[in-house]
Amino acid sequence: MKPKEKRTKTPREGRAISRRKFIAMTAGATAALSLGTFIRSGLGATNLRILSWSNTLKAMDDYLRELGEQYAKKKGIGISFEFIHMNDLPTKTAAAVESGAGPDIVNLWSDGPHLHAKALVDVGDLCEGLGKELKGWTDIGKDIAIVDKTWKAVPWGIIPIALTYREDWLKEVGYSTFPDTWGELLKASKKLKDKGHPVGFSLGRAMGDANQFHYPLLWAFGGAECKKDAKTVAINSPETAKAVDYRRELHKVGETDDVYAWDDAANNRAFLAEAVSITVNAASIYWAAKKSAPQLRPVTNHALFPVGPKGRYGYSTALSLGIFKFSKNQKTAKEFIRWLMEPKQYSAWIGMGEGMMAGLLNFYEDDPVWKKDPKLETVRQIPKYVRMPGYPGPPSRPAAEAMIKFVIVNMFARACKGMSTAETIKIAESELKEIYGKA
Amino acid sequence: MLIRDPRVTASIARTAQLVAKRGGVRFIKPDVFTGYALISPAVFLMLVLLAYPFVLAVYISLSDRLLGEPGKFIWFGNFIKLLQDTYFRQTVWNSFVYTVTTVTLKLLLGLALALLLNQEFPCRNWVRGALLLPWIVPTSLSVLTWLWMFDSLFSVINYILLGLGLISKKIPWLGDTFWAMVSVIIVNTWRGLPFFAISFLAGLMAIPRELYEAAEVDGARTFRKFWHVTLPLLQPVIAVVVLFSTIWTFADFQIVYILTHGGPLNATQIFATMAYDVALVAGRIGEGAAVSLFLFPALLIVIILILRYLRQE
Repeated sequence: MKPKEKRTKTPREGRAISRRKFIAMTAGATAALSLGTFIRSGLGATNLRILSWSNTLKAMDDYLRELGEQYAKKKGIGISFEFIHMNDLPTKTAAAVESGAGPDIVNLWSDGPHLHAKALVDVGDLCEGLGKELKGWTDIGKDIAIVDKTWKAVPWGIIPIALTYREDWLKEVGYSTFPDTWGELLKASKKLKDKGHPVGFSLGRAMGDANQFHYPLLWAFGGAECKKDAKTVAINSPETAKAVDYRRELHKVGETDDVYAWDDAANNRAFLAEAVSITVNAASIYWAAKKSAPQLRPVTNHALFPVGPKGRYGYSTALSLGIFKFSKNQKTAKEFIRWLMEPKQYSAWIGMGEGMMAGLLNFYEDDPVWKKDPKLETVRQIPKYVRMPGYPGPPSRPAAEAMIKFVIVNMFARACKGMSTAETIKIAESELKEIYGKA
Repeated sequence: MLIRDPRVTASIARTAQLVAKRGGVRFIKPDVFTGYALISPAVFLMLVLLAYPFVLAVYISLSDRLLGEPGKFIWFGNFIKLLQDTYFRQTVWNSFVYTVTTVTLKLLLGLALALLLNQEFPCRNWVRGALLLPWIVPTSLSVLTWLWMFDSLFSVINYILLGLGLISKKIPWLGDTFWAMVSVIIVNTWRGLPFFAISFLAGLMAIPRELYEAAEVDGARTFRKFWHVTLPLLQPVIAVVVLFSTIWTFADFQIVYILTHGGPLNATQIFATMAYDVALVAGRIGEGAAVSLFLFPALLIVIILILRYLRQE
């Protein structure tokens, strides 16, 4: 037998790491890494985890991350943001609530503080302190975050929903300003459609846009799905009937038929493709026009929802920050949120949004972001008019269920498809009774 | 030669003892233990990943649990409430229409495709491979493409149909209750077809040529060969494929969620999408679990029947 050493190695083999060496090295590296993590997590170093939606404007998220790093450095802690699609937020939040493990701070949507109240820490001291310093909270801020007289989350901001419209086309049919009443809007829509520029408000499963248009319409005519007690179903009323009749007429004389198929992104596309003249949206169309249709930016503007017989209403998605009860870093979490909400940080953050985000503290109504562009002036006023589904009652589990089941939107959609007003309201009423009956 | 040296005999005895000991591990213990030891990781995984969540889901469906709150045990309260719920009854109907139509379509088209692919033609292997594409591409991605093809403004399908003069008005693919169901059925069929076709093709290739030759000798033509040879021999494959596809389609989520989210007017709401909305968005975990488990007893009976049939085969 030849002695082993005498075998000449190829240059390649000479450089290669032996199997034994490789295993030893990997094991060593893994051990070192886990020891590092162990030391970090085990020896008192705080690591704050924040779960948030991934903003349509990426720059806003990047800035948040940057703020997190700044704060972490200052305080000698770790802060990590996880940004996920807004549709995945309910699932992830639900999983955290159910398992009692997950992020320390969670970004909740609209009725989130009410739905998850039991899993959230009382943040009254923090909210009241901020309110005192920054001219108090808007009504909608309080509505979303106060559950049974306890602050369950810190109102973080609102994504203001406005009517986005084509100024030039409206001028063509004789309107130098946007129609201020629902009645005028109907007339204008007819003229616009006759000119080949129909309006479009989603009657499909657009969780955002369809609900955001139809709830305010219902309220403006005096209709409501339930009474103030958030228990008694009150949809079957002459006021609701008027709203339904109005919607049917608007669809018939002024709207495109495509609206039944529209999801949340479809109306943006339609507007940018110059297929509709008025639609409901956040400032995101205006912002997207910058890139994809710059010629439309000068002729695009925003308007408040029109006034109806019972006033002016709006419904926008409101964001809040909650701290989970299972979090071991509650104190740090509160301090970090407080720091985020301070004018220096917060103002810079909403400034990047160009109207995508408005503050819920009265102080931010005069934020410099609203002076950047006169077309954002209307957007600034939106938080004042915003109510949540379930109005005049507080946001509640049944109200959330009615919204995800599109009870109100479908009531209007059936009417637009030709069903009688009485019949479609009756269906909505029985659906609402099933939902509210469970509470 | 007889060994008389005591040292040698002792050494032999020791070696024999050692051999017996070593062999003992291999042969004395019954094989069963080795068997159990080998399957235990799989059983463990099944218990942790399948049995536990399933039992938990059943338990949750029998309670009025809300997200983050324990809830109390209410027996079949959720199921009874669901039966009275018009929204849920529509969901059941939609799910049946969706599943029965798509499975039938996939079965017929899959069989036709498999018979076609079993013929000799140029680039046969290439075509067989390409056939699997819809099955390989992640569903959510391919469905997003379909979403564009069905778009109310930019639908390429409408564009082509209008161009060819086959329709005079664009079809509201996702905007009309009837067409929305047609759309999700088309996409589900498109996606599931390769699984049917490839499974059937494998079944076809396993049928011995002699049987066809014998049938030919007996004077059978194409259709009778198919009816009396192909179909009976393909039956076990068909049974398994239909069984799997039925279960998958009843539990389908992605296609409907992405294309219509259950709309318009709840026309395409099916079990999984409703369960998601009720349990995770509205936070009624108990009721959501009941929605997703509603069909379990019915499906279980179907599964038992089909498996029993297969065993008889």
